[in-house]
Amino acid sequence: MTDEQGTSGAVLVVGGGISGLTATLEAAEVGKDVFLVEKNPSLGGRVSQMYQYFPKLCPPSCGLEINYRRIRDNRGVRVYTMTTVKSVSGTPGNYEVVLETAPRYVNSNCTACGACSEACPDEVDNEFNFGMDKRKAAYIPHEMAFPRRYVIDKEALSAEGAEAIQAACKYDAIDLDMPAETRTIRVGSIVWATGWNPYDASKIENLKFDQSDAIITNMMMERLASPNGPTKGKIVRPGDNKEIESVAFVQCAGSRDENNLRYCSYVCCMATFKQITYIREQYPAAKIYVYYIDLRTPGKYEQFSDKLMDDKNSFFIKGKVADVIPEEDGGVTVIAEDALNAKKISQKVDMVVLATGMQAVQALAPLPVALHTDSDGFIISENEKGMIAAGCAKKASDVVTCTQNSTAAALKAIQISGR
Amino acid sequence: MDVQPDLDLIRTLKATGGDTLKMCYQCSTCAVVCPLSTDGNPFPRQEMIYAQWGMADKLLKDPNVFLCHQCGDCTASCPRGAKPGDVMSAIRSYAYTFYGWPKPLAKLCANEKGLPWLVGIPTVIILLMWMISGGMTIPSHEEFAQHGYTQFFGHWGFKWYAKNIFFIVLIMVPSLGLALYSAWRGLTTMWKAMRKEAGLEGAYRPSANQAWKEFIWPSFVEILQHKRFDECGEQHNRKTGHLPLMLSFIGLLIVTLWSLFRQDVLGLIYPSLHGPLPMTDPFKVFANVCAIALIFGIAVLWSNRVRLEKDNKTLPTFFDWFLIWEIAAVGITGIGAELFRWMGMPVVGYVIYFLHLVSIMMLFLYLPYTKLAHILFRTTAYAFDKYRESSFAKQ
Repeated sequence: MTDEQGTSGAVLVVGGGISGLTATLEAAEVGKDVFLVEKNPSLGGRVSQMYQYFPKLCPPSCGLEINYRRIRDNRGVRVYTMTTVKSVSGTPGNYEVVLETAPRYVNSNCTACGACSEACPDEVDNEFNFGMDKRKAAYIPHEMAFPRRYVIDKEALSAEGAEAIQAACKYDAIDLDMPAETRTIRVGSIVWATGWNPYDASKIENLKFDQSDAIITNMMMERLASPNGPTKGKIVRPGDNKEIESVAFVQCAGSRDENNLRYCSYVCCMATFKQITYIREQYPAAKIYVYYIDLRTPGKYEQFSDKLMDDKNSFFIKGKVADVIPEEDGGVTVIAEDALNAKKISQKVDMVVLATGMQAVQALAPLPVALHTDSDGFIISENEKGMIAAGCAKKASDVVTCTQNSTAAALKAIQISGR
Repeated sequence: MDVQPDLDLIRTLKATGGDTLKMCYQCSTCAVVCPLSTDGNPFPRQEMIYAQWGMADKLLKDPNVFLCHQCGDCTASCPRGAKPGDVMSAIRSYAYTFYGWPKPLAKLCANEKGLPWLVGIPTVIILLMWMISGGMTIPSHEEFAQHGYTQFFGHWGFKWYAKNIFFIVLIMVPSLGLALYSAWRGLTTMWKAMRKEAGLEGAYRPSANQAWKEFIWPSFVEILQHKRFDECGEQHNRKTGHLPLMLSFIGLLIVTLWSLFRQDVLGLIYPSLHGPLPMTDPFKVFANVCAIALIFGIAVLWSNRVRLEKDNKTLPTFFDWFLIWEIAAVGITGIGAELFRWMGMPVVGYVIYFLHLVSIMMLFLYLPYTKLAHILFRTTAYAFDKYRESSFAKQ
């Protein structure tokens, strides 16, 4: 099925995370037609996986919810989830974009009652929680998913499963023969808010991420701490659910490293400080060890870190963890040189958090359009062409910076579209 | 802390393989991945910042510099491509020059600019000796078959001491003597400085016997067993080259001493012992085995280095290559001279034998200034490492 819509005055925003949402709304609320495409079944991106986010340590519902509301209220916005850009042709101010929407296998009759999920016997690793728990093959990505509609993971669905969910649905919402859809739209400019992925920790050979359940990433910590996470917000060691008496944060895990990500991801130091507050909430006396090369606390965040560094059960060691030994009892020993004392130290802890960095999505999966990127895959805006980068597609940054540069991106986009 | 950077140090290190040293941002990955660095004395992170800040005095008193076996594990893991392994090697080269005496000779060995002199000096000396000896004639096939190279410097009727041996001793003993004197000066100075730096000046001094038994002999044993080489991860097969090479050096030393004893002492009683050893002589067999081990060892190390350089894991440096060339030259000319003797080709044989003498003199004369000095300095550092960890130091 192909239909043509849009005008040269419209804007396409690729990516429905906090940056894409911001750019969409900024452009739409000055009267532009905006197409927002998101490859996942729901909007919200990485922010929706957080427990809390800077600057005010809000839960993601605060911030995302208001944006969803604004989108619903705006007749100029069209949202396509499970949709990717297939090709872009034409000239600046007059692009023709082919979008492909993967089948959701659930139509608009869905009331999100959850009966299909309950009836579904098939389970797979839950990617939203980084595989720390399972989800059904008929599922809603997470409690706050927008649009609020179930999805069927057909690859994970067995024949019995298919029967069961169809029988369970009272609204005739399941359509397992739903085809992929292609549509062509015309837009004046494109905002690329393709976002980021957490750097694959198993690539950092010496940190042995794959060898112990007790070694997690900072994004996994966000899920552990989240009330809608795999442990309902209780921070425990994955695998044996042990309560945490000691934890080591490994800063620059794969960052500022020629063998992994060459750059500093900007957010990881503050993410660690934030996660120290998560641990303190639940374990007031747990020993916390932070191994760092340099602690970077941009802007006024130094006050935040100062307060946490005063804690007598928190230890900050200048020296990168370069070796990790998974122990028999499920714990982990981390080894670093304390550069201030010039002694090598081994510290056994219950859990290790790797502060992994942000990798541009297009660094791993090339976009269908030849965009100008730097050597790390971050997009360099070409404003005159109407190809504008926003958020973490442009550079690794925190939410505040993302929303600022997404607003700026919207401004560039409407100038091209308005010509 | 008042740091007066020694800019000359920084420039020298950068020019001799340590050009990446300023990349280091002190993350300490190197000190953790280094299989030889201990909990109490981690390296090379500290050495990197001493080098960056031009703190030559710190580096020259640091046993860790010499405890490094240049396996390259740190370089492979370095997140910045600072190549700490190469920097450590450059620091050692700097230290050999610093502790070397006489200074001009030491400086000549510091970089490739000295190469013409390094080859020229022994060539001229041996050529002069050859001329002075009056033996500068190519022998007939019969003479060559009978005497081999034992009359290279001619012969005289004085049976107590062969003329050939006289000249070889005249060339090699002063060369080695100067080297050993220089090494003694350097090593004692370094030992004292290390003691002071480690705060061991007031520590109880072991007697010579205790020092031998507790520090020096165990170091020899450890070196013979190549224990620390075993620890290296990245270039484990370096041991495959280095162990036979080291054993061949020891073997050839024994053969040389035996040859000297046989010709100069036993030869007085049994004149028939003069002349080349027969092929069936157990020492000749042993010598040939050693020669093959030497060629094999240096070939392994040569090809390792070529591969590393190709993979951009290390930089080609004069410091490393000069020693490889030297040893390869000794081995090839040694075997070559023997082969041409068997083939009865005196002209080629004599030329190669001449080059053999030149390469051996180079090995001896430049011992304390080139990479070969690691025999002296690393062994001393082993002993110091055992000393600083011993109960003597803990008092």
